[in-house]
Amino acid sequence: MIVQLAWKNIWRNKKRSLILVLATCFGVWGGIFTSGFSVGMWEGTIESAIDRELSHIQIHHPKFRDEKLVSQFIPDIDNVRKNLLNEDLISAYSERIIVEGIISSPVSTRGVKIFGIEPSQEKKVTSIYRKVIDGSYFTEDKENQIVIGSKLAEQLKVKLNSKVVLFFQSIDNNLVASAFRVAGIFKTESSIYDASVVFVSREELQSLLGAKDIVHEVAIRVRDVNMIDVVKNRLRANITNVLVEDWKEIAPEYALTRGILYVELNIFMGVILFALLFGISNTMMMSVFERIREFGMLMAIGMKRSKLFGLIISESVMLLFTGGAIGAFLGWITVLVLSKTGVDLSMVTEGLSAYSIPVVLYPKVPLHMYISLFLMLLATAIIASISPAVKAIRLKPVEAMRTF
Amino acid sequence: MSLIEVVNLDKIYDESKVPVHALKNINLKIERGEFLAIVGPSGSGKTTLLNMIGGLDKPTRGTVLINGKDIYKFKADELTEFRLKNIGFVFQTFNLIPVLTAKENVEFIMLLQGVPKVERERRAIELLERVGLKDKINSKPFELSGGEQQRVAVARALASHPSFVLADEPTANLDSKSAEGLLDIMIELNKEYGTTFIIATHDDKVIRRVRRIIALEDGKVKSNERNE
Repeated sequence: MIVQLAWKNIWRNKKRSLILVLATCFGVWGGIFTSGFSVGMWEGTIESAIDRELSHIQIHHPKFRDEKLVSQFIPDIDNVRKNLLNEDLISAYSERIIVEGIISSPVSTRGVKIFGIEPSQEKKVTSIYRKVIDGSYFTEDKENQIVIGSKLAEQLKVKLNSKVVLFFQSIDNNLVASAFRVAGIFKTESSIYDASVVFVSREELQSLLGAKDIVHEVAIRVRDVNMIDVVKNRLRANITNVLVEDWKEIAPEYALTRGILYVELNIFMGVILFALLFGISNTMMMSVFERIREFGMLMAIGMKRSKLFGLIISESVMLLFTGGAIGAFLGWITVLVLSKTGVDLSMVTEGLSAYSIPVVLYPKVPLHMYISLFLMLLATAIIASISPAVKAIRLKPVEAMRTF
Repeated sequence: MSLIEVVNLDKIYDESKVPVHALKNINLKIERGEFLAIVGPSGSGKTTLLNMIGGLDKPTRGTVLINGKDIYKFKADELTEFRLKNIGFVFQTFNLIPVLTAKENVEFIMLLQGVPKVERERRAIELLERVGLKDKINSKPFELSGGEQQRVAVARALASHPSFVLADEPTANLDSKSAEGLLDIMIELNKEYGTTFIIATHDDKVIRRVRRIIALEDGKVKSNERNE
């Protein structure tokens, strides 16, 4: 009945309580909507980075990521292959040769990272083949094909079938130059990536390097993202003399920024609730002042101060949770609908692609954000009502009943 | 052992400023089952004495023993618990909880006592029927007349099976008919349950019907006699 009484008490002044419920509702809705947008944007960025280049796990020569020397290829690649084939949790993997080089067209010259890939393998690991906007992602039986990004094509002023020359260092430190014909042009969410990466056949690149069966990078896709750590640890245990890293280790800035984002969003929600704190504190204080005589009576007939304290705190919690629950529900619905339809940001797509952010966002709010929201609501409700509750329990029954 | 024993009770308000000697060396004994009135003009100390007996205010000197226990030796929470279990209160201005129905108001005190829901409801309905409010069980205070609200307050006061009921000017805000009706009920309950009633009043209708009258004047007991 205390809960029932607390609920009835908050509706004594309907207009006042309703204003506070609406303020909480809009605050929480706005917070969830904004959070959904930010999380969707960042998660989308991470997912596209994983799809585009990172994959879930990568294997390298221990020094390759620091020094990027052609000679730092993965030792005992057959053993690596054997382990990858034996791992059920891996859905696909792609072997890559990576060299730093220069691409030259009749008009311009640029520094690029040259990926020698096996297209059939790469298609199962990354999504570049789906981003080809002109031409194709390698055609069988054609030689010297190169697939480049749209930004690079623009900088080099080349188009489909144009001839470009790649310069790079061979395995025995000689300069190699070879002509390729543009077979496909891709466009990803990242204009930086589109300007700096080119793909050629692994077999051709290997031959130009003067090497035999070398691999600088193995990009691995795991069936279930929750099993990335398991797979990584198993590979680390089974394959020695190589560096096995997951995407968070390869691109720590993504994981770090994601962590910071959640902290920022919690602070953002905290600021909204901090503003509400004054409103609810004021409402609770007014509510206590209006009922001083009643509190005096309740203490006189035998209500302990702790119960009275609990009653006032309960009223504040119920008031804030009512608005919070409605706001959270509306926020959840909004995010759910937008996560299905997506939010097209093509109006600002150029600006976004410079930051590798996808054009269409799919807002989402993870469960832990709802939990932390309600914990913050609870804290706000308690903090806001402590002063009014202390005021109430400090009353002396006789004076309270006589004075007011 | 008397139900209530008031021993050398003094109450001085605002001792540091202008002292007001509200009660002066009061000594009283009240037995179980009594139906008595504390009477006197305004300012004579009736309400102050009632507050002292109810453990709502601290005496300057002296004490109050209830069933032989010095209630002013209790800690604050113990005294609240003691009031809950032993004393029923009826106030001049009814003081019901406005958002609860008549039944819920009567139940509330039993809720504080931890009485199970089924028992609470049974006793609340029984008491409300007993005070003639069978049809008003689910009415909120604002839907009841003053007399009806005060009857709910009497039912509430009795709900906790108290040793005694303290009623401060219970008929002050009632018309004659309602006041007589309320008195009838209080007298019947006193006889039926043996509950002691201590009524602070200056209403002749009450004074005529109590069995003992303690008259106060300027904070002192002027007379203490049977009202045959």
